[in-house]
Amino acid sequence: MTERLLALVVVAASGAYLLSAWPLPAGTTARPGAGFFPLAVGAFGALMALVWTVSAFRRRAPASEAADQRAPVEGFGRVVATAGSLVGFCLLLPYAGYPGAALVFAAVLLRWLGAGWGSALVIGLASAALSYYLFGVVLSVPLPRGILFD
Amino acid sequence: MGPIDGLLYGFSIALTPGNLFACFIGVLVGTIVGILPGIGPVGAMALLLPSTFALEPATALIMLAGIYYGAMYGGSTTSILVNVPGEAASVVTAIDGYQMTKKGRAGAALTVAGVGSFVAGSLGVVGIVLASAWLAEQALRFGPPEYFAMALAGLLLLSRLSGGSVLQAFVLVAIGLALGTVGMEPISAIRRFTFGSTQLSQGIELVPVIMGLYGVAEVLLIAEVGAKRALIASVKLKDLLPTRQEWRQSAAPIVRGSVVGFFTGLIPGPAGVLSTFISYALERRVSKTPERFGHGAIEGVAGPESANNGATAGAMVPLLSLGIPFSPATAILLSALVITGIQPGPLLISQRPEVFWGVVASMYVGNILLLILNLPLVGLFVSVLRLPQHVLATLILLLCLVGAYSLNNSQLDLWVLVGFGIFGYILRKVAIDPSPLVVALVLGPMMEKTLRQSLFMTQGSFVDILSRPLTMTLLVLGLAAVVVPWVVRRLRGVPIVSLPDATP
Repeated sequence: MTERLLALVVVAASGAYLLSAWPLPAGTTARPGAGFFPLAVGAFGALMALVWTVSAFRRRAPASEAADQRAPVEGFGRVVATAGSLVGFCLLLPYAGYPGAALVFAAVLLRWLGAGWGSALVIGLASAALSYYLFGVVLSVPLPRGILFD
Repeated sequence: MGPIDGLLYGFSIALTPGNLFACFIGVLVGTIVGILPGIGPVGAMALLLPSTFALEPATALIMLAGIYYGAMYGGSTTSILVNVPGEAASVVTAIDGYQMTKKGRAGAALTVAGVGSFVAGSLGVVGIVLASAWLAEQALRFGPPEYFAMALAGLLLLSRLSGGSVLQAFVLVAIGLALGTVGMEPISAIRRFTFGSTQLSQGIELVPVIMGLYGVAEVLLIAEVGAKRALIASVKLKDLLPTRQEWRQSAAPIVRGSVVGFFTGLIPGPAGVLSTFISYALERRVSKTPERFGHGAIEGVAGPESANNGATAGAMVPLLSLGIPFSPATAILLSALVITGIQPGPLLISQRPEVFWGVVASMYVGNILLLILNLPLVGLFVSVLRLPQHVLATLILLLCLVGAYSLNNSQLDLWVLVGFGIFGYILRKVAIDPSPLVVALVLGPMMEKTLRQSLFMTQGSFVDILSRPLTMTLLVLGLAAVVVPWVVRRLRGVPIVSLPDATP
């Protein structure tokens, strides 16, 4: 099921890529333009994605995938929580700055993955501070400090 | 500069305090990431890449290469002691290595793995020197059609050898090539697929893509499985010495593994993993007592462990002599070269000898450091596994986030990281190896440039391009790698066995 969905998404994406490549100047084979290579890649990708989709729908789901579908929902919940924390960090960074976003990210993720609130906060604080010191101070990366400090 | 003079010059570069320290940090980090499941050498190299921006080119490369081959040592440790391979190239080692641990011979297995890796790494240095110098000299005669054919043949071979089906690998190659076309087109400065974004006109960065596919995706898999604590066998220092018979049984497999590994490393594909499978099969084939394999045969540790280190050396050859990476790990090394302002290619040896010879000599130094580090401190390294997995997962993700942001101080890189992390997780769920995407993303811009130059040169004649002997040979080889197994399968009606997990 996952493979079929993935194949369909790739077909749609390669179609969108081909459409976006269409207006680019393709030139001729003797004088290829900026659109020449993208059109070739897009056509190849779309063709391969279509063949993949057809073969994925014609084939029975492999045993490993069938087993995955029976995997506990709990595990998938942790994956969604982890991915959600990552998205949350990206959204929060411009407003809360790196130290704030890193603290919230680490503490919330640790809690979701099974740590108690106390240890989640302590480890979250330590890892946010340490990573800020390492990248922001030692390596002089201009990490955002958030709307409160900028 | 001849090979001997070159190596001596290389040692004078590699043994400066700064480079020695960089080598030490590289092999130390490599050992630790090799031990830890969740982040492999590729993810760790991508993580540390931003910290090398301020370093000299040779120093940066010495450190990153140290992670690459250091991980092969670390990976064997957990395979042998806990039956948990820290990275894919150590999966085979676990078969007999863990059986040896159960029989109380863990120390001997670790020593043989360490010594085998050292011998393979040292022989590999000789191989790099001989092969790179020869190949770089030949490559000076290559034109755009040869470079295009080489990249295309490499992608075809990679598609055949990486895990999963050729069709899926082709789809990933197309995605990688398409991603490589995003941004400002170099010849006519037309912006492609940028949707008005200034950040996108710089193109899609390789590093967040790799961090996502190899770092974030692995952590998502760990999160799914939940917390697991490994049971760790303890090893005493006096148990580390193999018996005389064990040494005798290991000597030939180490040499065979080193040679098999080096030559497998030259081929595009998941060389580290592939070489261990080939070496294991070879040792079982030549053994007079093949029934011991799977029950603690020391040859099953010595051969594959030497092979995966030999393969890391072999994979350096196309990178250092042609400037073409055929694996995600060497793609990061190429990025490091480009970021520090060096044009990789056949002129690297003559124009930047300190980089070429410095890195090659540092691999020898690094192998000595690894031997010293790994054997006495094995207990300390393995205790890293006692770190709770949820803490480890959080730390890895935080480092990925801050590392990706620090590349360009750009929010876009963070979204690329997260997007490819989720994509990588889905790929793992359907058992597809992401390496064709990474290599195609790196080779894509070069392929476009050389294809257009070739067409300009020949006035659009594909026949003229194909009639060049090397171009023709390379393309035929690449196509044969894909077509021949398919035809054989059709004729015999049997499925082709592909690697279960071929992440390089």
